[in-house]
Amino acid sequence: MKLRVVEIQANIMRKNDALAAALRARFAKSGTLVVNLLSSPGSGKTTLLEETLRRLAGRYRIGALVGDQATENDALRLARSGAPVRQITTAAECRLDADMIGKALAEWNPGPLDALFIENVGNLICPAEYDLGEDLRAVLFSVTEGEDKPLKYPLAFNTSQLALITKIDIAQAVGFDRQAAERSLRAVHPSIEIVELSARNGQGMDTWLELLARRIESKSLAAV
Amino acid sequence: MHELSVALTLLDGVSEAALRDGIERVTAVHVRIGALSGIARDALLFSWDMASAESIAAGSELRIEDVPVAVFCERCKRERSPAPGTGLLCPVCGAASPTIVRGRELQIVAMEVPA
Repeated sequence: MKLRVVEIQANIMRKNDALAAALRARFAKSGTLVVNLLSSPGSGKTTLLEETLRRLAGRYRIGALVGDQATENDALRLARSGAPVRQITTAAECRLDADMIGKALAEWNPGPLDALFIENVGNLICPAEYDLGEDLRAVLFSVTEGEDKPLKYPLAFNTSQLALITKIDIAQAVGFDRQAAERSLRAVHPSIEIVELSARNGQGMDTWLELLARRIESKSLAAV
Repeated sequence: MHELSVALTLLDGVSEAALRDGIERVTAVHVRIGALSGIARDALLFSWDMASAESIAAGSELRIEDVPVAVFCERCKRERSPAPGTGLLCPVCGAASPTIVRGRELQIVAMEVPA
């Protein structure tokens, strides 16, 4: 059989990137700050978000979209804060994509929001590829995970503007090496902002909340 | 991990291009996959067979070109290939480079079709 070659040259992420751009335009219009939280399973995304929602409630209108492969447990936990929360159950998919966010928003009416948190599926590989239209990508990295985690998952840390070192209250007990962690973070992203915190004892939470408040304010100003 | 959804998106791209050119059968698809994309080669090959079954690309071969990571080193002012497991450090001067030049590719390059 004679064959011929047809050139295609298409980026597989093209569709997701287009949907993410549409989401970004929509959130720019509504002045909603969108934060995409990435981490391995068990780094403390839900605990941090629970505490963040609780502390920001009353000050801002906050909502959360939570991705998990199965169960609505995280959404139920977060809903206790009183903030509008919606679970996205991804089944076989190991990450959220812009299409899932768009569909969830279409079926959900949280009212006007100053900030929307997206808790991605616990995984540092696949979520790194998918733009969700966020303003801020924050990667969580707990003190129990090994200081070289950024070297193992460079893209997740390279594409995040902020690294949250979580569970800092137990850093000493687990022998966390702060310099080594910072070295590996800087090796994949020299200018990444780093915040150490513990949602459990509140350490560093003010820094994180201040950072969020600043971004929420400037996003809503830009929308007017 | 997300190889099946990547394979399905690949198939969409191939089907779209085939439809545009009036192509009815595809015997091979060439793709470029960056080392940072988190795609496992074997899993993608396996997913491709599943995704393409019963499509115009059924039984087609997926030819994967692996693209190694390259960064632009600001200090050397040159493109460099970091050693695996060292993050994105320049292998020559050791400076950290924020700019990924290659390694994130998830591209369909071409397809082979009966002449």
